[in-house]
Amino acid sequence: MDLRNRTRARVALVAAAATLLTACGGGLGSEESSDSGPVKIGLLVPQSGVYKALGDDMKNGYELYLDQHDGKLGGREIETATADEGETADSGKAAAEKLVKQDNVMAVTGVVSSAVMNGTADLFEEGTPLVGSNASPTTLTDAKYIWRTSYVNDEPGKALGAYVAEKVDGPVYLLAADYQAGIDEVTGFKETFLAAGGKVADEVYTPFPTTTNFQPFLSNLEKSGAKAVFTFYAGGAAVDFVKQYEQFGLSDKVAHYSAGFLTEGGVLDAQAAAAEGTFTAMNYSADLDNDVNAEFVKAYEEAYDAKPTTYAMASYDAAQVLDKAIEAAGDDLTSETLNDAIAEVGEIDSPRGPWSFNDNGTPVQTWYLREVQAADGGFSNVVIEELGELG
Amino acid sequence: MSPVLVRAVVRRLVGAAVLVVLLALPWLVNAYAISTVSRILVFAALAISVNLLTGVTGLPTLGQSAYFGVGAYTGAIVSTTLSDVGPVQLVLAAGAGALAAAVTGPVAMRARGVAFLMITLAIGEIAYVAAGRLDAVTYGTDGYSGVPAVVPLPGIAPLVIDGLVYYYVLAVFLLLYGLVALLLRSPFGLALRGIRDNEDRLRAVGYPTTAFALAAYCIAGALAGAAGSMWTSAQRFVAPGDLGFDVAALALLAVIIGGLGSMWGASVGAALVVLTRDYLGGYVAGHGLLLLGVLFVVVVYAMPRGLSGVRRPRRTSEVRA
Amino acid sequence: MLSWLDGNLVSMVDGVAYGLLLFTLAVGLSLVFGMMDVLNLAHGTLYLAGAYVAYALSDGSWLGLLVALLVGIGVGVAGGGLLAALTQPLAARGHLDQALLTLGIAFIAADVLVAVFGAQVLPTAPPDGLTGRTSMLGHSYPVYRLAFIGIAGALALLVYALFERSSIGALVRATVADRDMVRATGVDTRKVLFGVFAFGAALATVGGVLGAPILAPGPGVDETVLVLSLVVVVVGGLGSVPGALLGALLIGQVQTLGVAVLPTYAPFLLFGAMLVVLAWRPDGLVSLVRRG
Repeated sequence: MDLRNRTRARVALVAAAATLLTACGGGLGSEESSDSGPVKIGLLVPQSGVYKALGDDMKNGYELYLDQHDGKLGGREIETATADEGETADSGKAAAEKLVKQDNVMAVTGVVSSAVMNGTADLFEEGTPLVGSNASPTTLTDAKYIWRTSYVNDEPGKALGAYVAEKVDGPVYLLAADYQAGIDEVTGFKETFLAAGGKVADEVYTPFPTTTNFQPFLSNLEKSGAKAVFTFYAGGAAVDFVKQYEQFGLSDKVAHYSAGFLTEGGVLDAQAAAAEGTFTAMNYSADLDNDVNAEFVKAYEEAYDAKPTTYAMASYDAAQVLDKAIEAAGDDLTSETLNDAIAEVGEIDSPRGPWSFNDNGTPVQTWYLREVQAADGGFSNVVIEELGELG
Repeated sequence: MSPVLVRAVVRRLVGAAVLVVLLALPWLVNAYAISTVSRILVFAALAISVNLLTGVTGLPTLGQSAYFGVGAYTGAIVSTTLSDVGPVQLVLAAGAGALAAAVTGPVAMRARGVAFLMITLAIGEIAYVAAGRLDAVTYGTDGYSGVPAVVPLPGIAPLVIDGLVYYYVLAVFLLLYGLVALLLRSPFGLALRGIRDNEDRLRAVGYPTTAFALAAYCIAGALAGAAGSMWTSAQRFVAPGDLGFDVAALALLAVIIGGLGSMWGASVGAALVVLTRDYLGGYVAGHGLLLLGVLFVVVVYAMPRGLSGVRRPRRTSEVRA
Repeated sequence: MLSWLDGNLVSMVDGVAYGLLLFTLAVGLSLVFGMMDVLNLAHGTLYLAGAYVAYALSDGSWLGLLVALLVGIGVGVAGGGLLAALTQPLAARGHLDQALLTLGIAFIAADVLVAVFGAQVLPTAPPDGLTGRTSMLGHSYPVYRLAFIGIAGALALLVYALFERSSIGALVRATVADRDMVRATGVDTRKVLFGVFAFGAALATVGGVLGAPILAPGPGVDETVLVLSLVVVVVGGLGSVPGALLGALLIGQVQTLGVAVLPTYAPFLLFGAMLVVLAWRPDGLVSLVRRG
């Protein structure tokens, strides 16, 4: 046998083995097309680690929609398989594989971390729709099966840039947690900020998640003589940062603009008065004045005794997207037809106001400027004005 | 038959049985389970690397994650720019791991015990931070994606099915296992055990113990680098979290659970750790660490010498960290 | 030079506050290691437990803080005693088995704490009168951190005096140096060992109660504290109170002044500093003072 024949024989051998494996279950998860019985949806959110609080919000949002619809989406009984995303790409990827390959879910929703989103993109692109409700790295484009009801990571910064350039008379300091989402956020901000004639004092990234004492960074910020600061922090780091921003006297001297995650949800309760006067850009606020939102906030508060966050709202919307798409797919419901139906789902009547998917699979939506204000014993993100539409 | 002979036969039989089960697995379990087993094999290879240092040579380490990461990123870069042939990636990743160990090892070699542990921890942490920082090489914290499916040998179609990727990972694992087993039987392996048991005496009789320890460190680095390449082939994605403190700590703990010095103990320990955290943890979502904690406590009291020491007489000299 | 000093004064002061916080965390770990030869990886959990006690009990009043301190000490003594009892059977088996056990306990405790207190970071208000900020040569600085320097400084002096100057300290140091010899003189060394474990643990929980307004409790804080403590302990030198103080103050400055001066390299500074010290002095800084 010459070399070429040998190679061909080997290829044939591998192909035969592959066929066998597929037949015996060790290969591709077989796609179930069923016109009756429950539809399996995977919920991939952190249930442990530093992102657990976000994961809880997302779970709440998804489950609220389901409860309001008698546990059905698109008229079909839903069986939710939950998997713990954890903290790292590794744990998230393992959890996603469990949902897709073992639980054989029809579609997945959730995903907090951008690293998990990147790590699992190939898996979902093999044919399982992911209606993500938070993570959205800027590098994720041209995906066929990955949708996001949230935003793109650089949009809060983009929404704010021109406004800050106009409002602030002097250089602006950029300070963000040192990981991709922070870099994306700052990059987005600079894009519109510089275009509108803004001037950057300095651009600094703080180690994440190890920074708990921001004093040295705040000291440098003070020294720079900047008139305002744009930041990106979320979760525990946001609490520490906002507290210390006030303790070290910066809240009196330097105007604070940030992506909305800084004061979103439980962290605002923890920051309390220290956060007062902080401006943030977000696609949602619990006090938005529209009927859908009023109903949503009421139901959410009744169920969980807390105000809904953008994380909960986007997950609620993800359930709504699935609801409409499952219904549209009709009797011939497979991951494939479901995905096609998501593409055609049209306008979503959301608590944030109506929105629809763009070609990138992310929402075209209005952004709001919010200020943290004291209100009935607590603090809330009050909408000041609209920052325009992005997406 | 003498008891020694009986034991040898039993050991062969058990080994053969394990091998048969490993070979048959893709026909027995689903795709998620098989990719979990692939992950276990990679983690076991890393644990064997840690065992070479900690169990055999007596140098407790939290730094092998660094060389694992070097190997994983090398594998990813080679796969996207040079060759999608697995063994090419494997050899280059092992070389990169050994090189990184040779550069950083001399710093660690100055210390023993807990100081060594902490220096290696520092190496691991610095590698972790660097992986997130070096955007141009690693694509930062979002991770290195777009790794093509691995080609096991030139001319064979790329492996996209989990069961086939598993066979590639298994083959590499068995190869590495065999190589390390040979190494441990050599005079060099005996000298490493001598460093663990009494370094001063070995040095007194004329062995260059530091050079030997450094050599072991480089070999362990190569092994960790190879494991990194296996990881890239199995996951087709690398992120800084893959070389974080958790990975280093769990690899060390897997070796302790397995029983210091035993290769199969380290492998089974690695399997237990991954199964407990990822597989069992999947059923009580969010409580993987709790289960691990319980596992650690149970093992410490129930198996004083680890899994591999269950039926072994106690050694006179214990490894002291 | 003067303007540099002015610009970095706050960072230097904060480095002292942070360093003293690290000292209260690390000294217990160092003593337990030096005395009992136990590598206690559940040490960060003790801090976290103390910080949660402060969150749950201190209500902004001085009485609340006092109650939190007393409960914190109780938790620390109980936790330390329990850990001492659990690690005692492993005494002959080396550090790695102890590491396995104590990390297992830390994982279990972390899961329980999240179940009780939730997954959010919970900032804790200092007592009235210590909230707010003060002016330090024209720079704002939190009052509580200044007060903390006073309190933790006094605590450090007390620990130093107790271990380096008193007869109990002499007994403890003798036990560190040669356990069998002390036992031969008729002292029940096990009581000494339990006492030190409980004391070291109580220092960590007190550190948690007092440190909560600076380093707030939340998931993952136990690991942060553990790693920082380990770094301080090996940088300073195992089993030595002056060493722990030296290491803590150095790491405190590295983490504040160092970060302020070299913000770009911030994530590398902690472990870089440790590498430099250990490559230079594998037995830690204390070996500069004491030899042998």
